[in-house]
Amino acid sequence: MIATLRYEFRMQIRKRSVWIVPALTLVLFVLIGGSLLRDLFDPAERPPEAKTAVVGLAVQVHALLSIGFGCLLADRLVRDDRLRVAPILDATPASRAARLVGKYLGAGTATAVPIAAAYFGFAIAYAINSGSFPAVLWALATFGVVFVPGLLFVAAFALTLPLVMPAPLFRVLFVGYWLWGNVVPPDLMPTLSRTLFNPLGGYPLAGLLGFHGIDGAEVWAGPIPGAALNVLRPEPTPLLAWLSIALLLALAAAALAGGHWVRFSERTRS
Amino acid sequence: MTIEITALTKTYRGGVAALDGLDLTVPTGMFGLLGANGAGKTTLMRILAGIVRPTAGRVTVGGHDLATGAGRHAVQQSLGYLPQDLGVYPDLTARQFLDYVALLKGMDDPAVRRRRVGELLEVVALTAQAGRRLRGFSGGMRQRVGIAQALLADPQLLIVDEPTAGLDPEERIRFRTLLSQFAGDRTVVLSTHIVEDIAQTCREVAVLAQGRLAFRGTVDDLTQRAAGQVWSLVTSGPPPSEGTVVSALPHEGGMRYRIVAPTAPGAEATPVDPGLEDGYLAVTVPDERRPVGR
Repeated sequence: MIATLRYEFRMQIRKRSVWIVPALTLVLFVLIGGSLLRDLFDPAERPPEAKTAVVGLAVQVHALLSIGFGCLLADRLVRDDRLRVAPILDATPASRAARLVGKYLGAGTATAVPIAAAYFGFAIAYAINSGSFPAVLWALATFGVVFVPGLLFVAAFALTLPLVMPAPLFRVLFVGYWLWGNVVPPDLMPTLSRTLFNPLGGYPLAGLLGFHGIDGAEVWAGPIPGAALNVLRPEPTPLLAWLSIALLLALAAAALAGGHWVRFSERTRS
Repeated sequence: MTIEITALTKTYRGGVAALDGLDLTVPTGMFGLLGANGAGKTTLMRILAGIVRPTAGRVTVGGHDLATGAGRHAVQQSLGYLPQDLGVYPDLTARQFLDYVALLKGMDDPAVRRRRVGELLEVVALTAQAGRRLRGFSGGMRQRVGIAQALLADPQLLIVDEPTAGLDPEERIRFRTLLSQFAGDRTVVLSTHIVEDIAQTCREVAVLAQGRLAFRGTVDDLTQRAAGQVWSLVTSGPPPSEGTVVSALPHEGGMRYRIVAPTAPGAEATPVDPGLEDGYLAVTVPDERRPVGR
């Protein structure tokens, strides 16, 4: 697993698109909209509390860059077959499951590096600019409970779903899912946004970080009057925040297990 | 490391039978596997490498049953495999690719791994290109990388499927010599449809046809299967209508044909000594199916 992790990381981190896609996304976002990314450095506009600023920043960076993250990982598993390198790897004594996990962690980590660099870069710049150094600690905590589970969830499905559909189709469906499952308000149509299954981290944001939006009036988790699927939106608590993280990781593990079954069991049996 | 294959059958989805009740014993040393495209050679190689499971039948390698996970693992620990359709990671250098495969083969000691990778790059004459990304390698150079990765970890069983495809004549000769030197007390299964490669390296050979065993014996035995069936015929007219034409060379007053046929394909035909290619045709092309003028 370590060998695969190392080499998958090395191959993915060298891909120009891994750096270009998040960079362009951020530039376009700053140019097009009035973003917190810009306001962070304006004492008149930025949130007064360091925690609110860096957690709010996390929401925007996560919501934006995870789309590219999923799309960039979509070819990682299927490319072993496309490049015809799979037979050589399969003929080694290295466990196939371990190689899958190594690819998942290696390629996933490499693709997350620009996201982490962007987030911590902005957070550190904000901390220096505002003189509020606890912001860096809040950024670390936010990365751990919001980004990491969400990205692990996305990476598992981005690796394995292209085994059963073409990677370009997955990318289209993934972008649609991301907007539907994270951005669409629950009272507009049935959606997974603000549920326990929300990879944007609504429950950790509300239950662990006490974040309720830049203006303190937004709902990131919990029931919405009149919305469908409110059964999946209990009132947020720290315990439910950890449950939400556990659910995301369990779903990621299930996706990997399914991918392993499709990739190896199906291939070796007639 | 002896390979025992018993009643081996592989049927792909859609009912395509690649192997049909194959029984075969492969002893230690160089062993050739001949057959036309689609004869089942590559499927057999993939089963022996533990990457495809058979539909029915049993395979043991050095006593390890490939039907079990433990058996496959044990075989793969001493296996070198060069697939027919070789692929590499284009974004790695030759040295990195070999290092990665070496790690997967359990060569954990970095110093040992580095030394072995360096030795094999030297063997396949790629030392000067070791730091170049594989993206820029020609087909022949990639094939040499494939050969090097197969020889990592000093395998006791080496399975090479069409290894000389894409190599120039000089490289082919070098690789054949390398295989013969490597074999020693190891088992090397060389699958090919290039008869010359078998003739120059193997003492024992099997011929597959339509997923079944058409021949198993020594190279000399296979050659002798065409004894009394090989003819030379010089004619200025059309190609002979009987038998399988092995070669056609321009000759004074027409063409000189070499033909494999059970009876003389013309009054002027003279018998000649058989070669391995003639023997291969004698066992794979039934008399009634020998195409006219092929």
